[in-house]
Amino acid sequence: MSEFVFATAQYESGDWDSAPLVPANLIDSVARYTKLRVAPTGVIVSLASEDVFRFPLLFLTGHLPVRFTEAERTNVKRYADRGGMLFVDDHNHDIDGAFHKTAVEELARTVGPLAQLPNTHTLYSSFFRFPDGPPNTSHELNGWGDNLVHTHLLAAMRGDRIAVLYSNKDYSSEWGYHPDNKRFLSVDNTKFGVNVIVYALTR
Amino acid sequence: MQPRDRVLRTRRALAAAIAARTLMWSTAATLSVAALMTVVGRASGLVGDGATWAVALISGAIALVASVGAWRRLTLQRVALWIEERAPALQFALVTAVDPDVAASPIAGQLAQRIAGISWNAEARRAIWRALVRPLTAASLAVALLLAARRVPLSAAPPDAAGVSATTASPRDVPAPFTRMRATVRPPAYAGGGEVTIESPASIAALAGSSVTLRAPGANTGVSADLGGRPLAVERSGEGWRVALTMGARPEVIRLRHALGERLVALEPRADSAPVVRLTLPARDTVLRVAAGVIPLTADVQDDLGLVSGAFEYIVSSGEGESFRFRSGTLGARQFGGARERARAGMLSGALRLDALELKPGDIVHLRAVARDANTVSGPGVGSSETRVVRIARASEYDSVAVEGAPPPEADKSLISQRMLIILTEALERRRPRLSRETLVSESRAIGRDQTRLRKRVGDIIFSRLGDDPTGEHAHGPDEEPHEEPAPTTPDSARRDSLRRAAVRAGQPVSAAADSADSARAALLRAADAATRGGDEILDFEGDETPVVAINRPLLEAYNAMWEASRELEQGEPARALPPMRRALDAIQRARQAERIYLRGRAPAVVVDLARVRLTGKETGTDATRSPRAPADPAAARRAERLAAAMTLAGSDPAAAVDSLVMLRVESLDVAPGFAAALGSAIDALRERRDASALLARVRRAAEGSLRVGTGLGAWSGVW
Repeated sequence: MSEFVFATAQYESGDWDSAPLVPANLIDSVARYTKLRVAPTGVIVSLASEDVFRFPLLFLTGHLPVRFTEAERTNVKRYADRGGMLFVDDHNHDIDGAFHKTAVEELARTVGPLAQLPNTHTLYSSFFRFPDGPPNTSHELNGWGDNLVHTHLLAAMRGDRIAVLYSNKDYSSEWGYHPDNKRFLSVDNTKFGVNVIVYALTR
Repeated sequence: MQPRDRVLRTRRALAAAIAARTLMWSTAATLSVAALMTVVGRASGLVGDGATWAVALISGAIALVASVGAWRRLTLQRVALWIEERAPALQFALVTAVDPDVAASPIAGQLAQRIAGISWNAEARRAIWRALVRPLTAASLAVALLLAARRVPLSAAPPDAAGVSATTASPRDVPAPFTRMRATVRPPAYAGGGEVTIESPASIAALAGSSVTLRAPGANTGVSADLGGRPLAVERSGEGWRVALTMGARPEVIRLRHALGERLVALEPRADSAPVVRLTLPARDTVLRVAAGVIPLTADVQDDLGLVSGAFEYIVSSGEGESFRFRSGTLGARQFGGARERARAGMLSGALRLDALELKPGDIVHLRAVARDANTVSGPGVGSSETRVVRIARASEYDSVAVEGAPPPEADKSLISQRMLIILTEALERRRPRLSRETLVSESRAIGRDQTRLRKRVGDIIFSRLGDDPTGEHAHGPDEEPHEEPAPTTPDSARRDSLRRAAVRAGQPVSAAADSADSARAALLRAADAATRGGDEILDFEGDETPVVAINRPLLEAYNAMWEASRELEQGEPARALPPMRRALDAIQRARQAERIYLRGRAPAVVVDLARVRLTGKETGTDATRSPRAPADPAAARRAERLAAAMTLAGSDPAAAVDSLVMLRVESLDVAPGFAAALGSAIDALRERRDASALLARVRRAAEGSLRVGTGLGAWSGVW
């Protein structure tokens, strides 16, 4: 079986590379907790290219407005329809921020409206158990950004499968540190990232 | 009454006739052009009512001016002649009588007596009427034409774009209660289309939200109807019954039942497309050094039914790192009027005043155009353009970002282009047999001097990268002006090294490419010479070769070829100069078409030591490519199974098979339009008792086209 490669989506309109350490951190966690074969480094893949179809999970983040080009829009729709999972995280963690408004609008236009994902969804038990739904981030708990603790993630479904997972929780900031520094944390905060990856690989 | 007075009276009648005729011709021209413009406007959607009537009125005015010229010919003498022509009995007495010289003479009385006995009123009336018949006919026809143009539905006009198409069923296939059924379809109000009646409908395609009413004569006793399983009311209506419903967003089937049989009517909704918006200005993303000035904004918008409004939207992002602030707004808002106005295309324009936005270094303005249509059923449909980004550069990136707002430098017009030089040389070669040798050499040298000047300009472009002195070329040849080569003051050792490597590549000793920029240029020239004289051999300038050579290779080729051409031209041999001149032109074209690559920033790559994380020791791993997983499509397989079942049924119960195929088609319209289209043709053939074998085979191919058989489960990971 081929190894899992973590892919960061590169899009035209915004700062797609705002969380450069997240891929390494999640790769580290996948290697640490699972027996999945995983590539030691992530790749950057243009949303407008056919290469997106080589990866089961695409990670998309940023602070700035998201406006897909026509090619990106077409690819994202095909990607979602064909079994891929796009994980979008609002690095701006602002409910009325430009990233949130534009990304939600763009995703709704491309793959259909986003709806709240129940906290009992199998995503929260695909590897580690998160009985309360998505884990909170320090940015939320510190009241930064929108000063809200988001209780749900949003998702666009294809059948019973998550095609697009959207987070306001700013995991990009929460997971944006060098994996070597994980040892300083009492509880590894990237475990939910493992769930996302395992879910994408098994559904 | 005196003859003069009678002529004056006739002249007034003629003047009135001319005025009437002029007005009628003008009206005919105005209305004809208006009718033509109406047809064009309705078909294309590009011409509004205002433009239509403006053009029509201009045409009418032109016709008016052209016709009114007859006034100038309406003199007393001409009118008298016109009367004489129609009353020959006058024998020119009238023309003579109205002559001013004769009026005072003694014969005036005799003439008056002679004229008094002759009447021309009847002839004049007939002539005037004949003159008015044609313009009156033309004006009437133009009125009819205009009325027809405004009422007759056109294929591409909104009523049809919003409109209806249908297939019909043969009466012999229809149970008795439904034999004379007809459908009335009215598109939604916003679409502006008219009501359409379809006799014996089998399927109805119309805009989503259209009102559909099925009517049939007879009692409604025993008649029931449902739409996708939901019951529909069958109401009495006059002498018959009716079923009314609204076209939904998804394809469905109306099933009408009676003890004598049932009938299916497929509903195929057509979606109203969202407006298509194209942002034409600004044409590309921009980085500005100073947030000042005005950026013009233009966008083209189109819609299939009618536009309502449009505007430019902007978002200003300020900040960096984890702290961003945003402002947003709209510009250049415009109302189009909706589908009733039938503005199906339009333009947005506006101006983005950077001063007013109070932008700071690092701020980003995201711009796009947005348009909304008149869809009140499922909309409004909103279309947006691509987004353009205007960024204000930070001071720290002045040295790495092209921030000059100035346009490209104007081409040097003092130079004759290589293409023009070739044309001149070819012309000279054609004239050669008629020229003396002295003249030929003189003209050839004149072209040669222009060729030399152009070569020096190319040399400037190449050598300007070598140092402060853009004129890297030494003077060569008797007609060139030698210039002093300034000594290099701060030679760049790295550059020298790369040039030295170029020289080595060209087969020159390293010492020849040594310690000064002057010798470096010499090495570069030799490298270029080697590059261009190697015949068909392609020299590889990649790797550790000097980038100056690699980037400028086509120009270096052009440079060398120009040198060769100059030499031949100097010797008065234009024919021998032409091949290198053409090589030079080809090389310049290649340089012009070279791909420009603008690098963007890349995220730092962090490689996770997997072995260390897993405490398993080093593992090299193997790279393996993978192919994308074939899309699993169980729905297509189900369609194929249902198709096979229906085809089996066709042998024993064709009507049931048709019904099954109709149901299958309706369910496939959304998800497999190609399959549904193929199925539609087969259904028609089956209904008309034609041989449907070939069409069904096509349907089966369409059903199987999306099915793929894999050898096993695909893996969802891989490497580049």
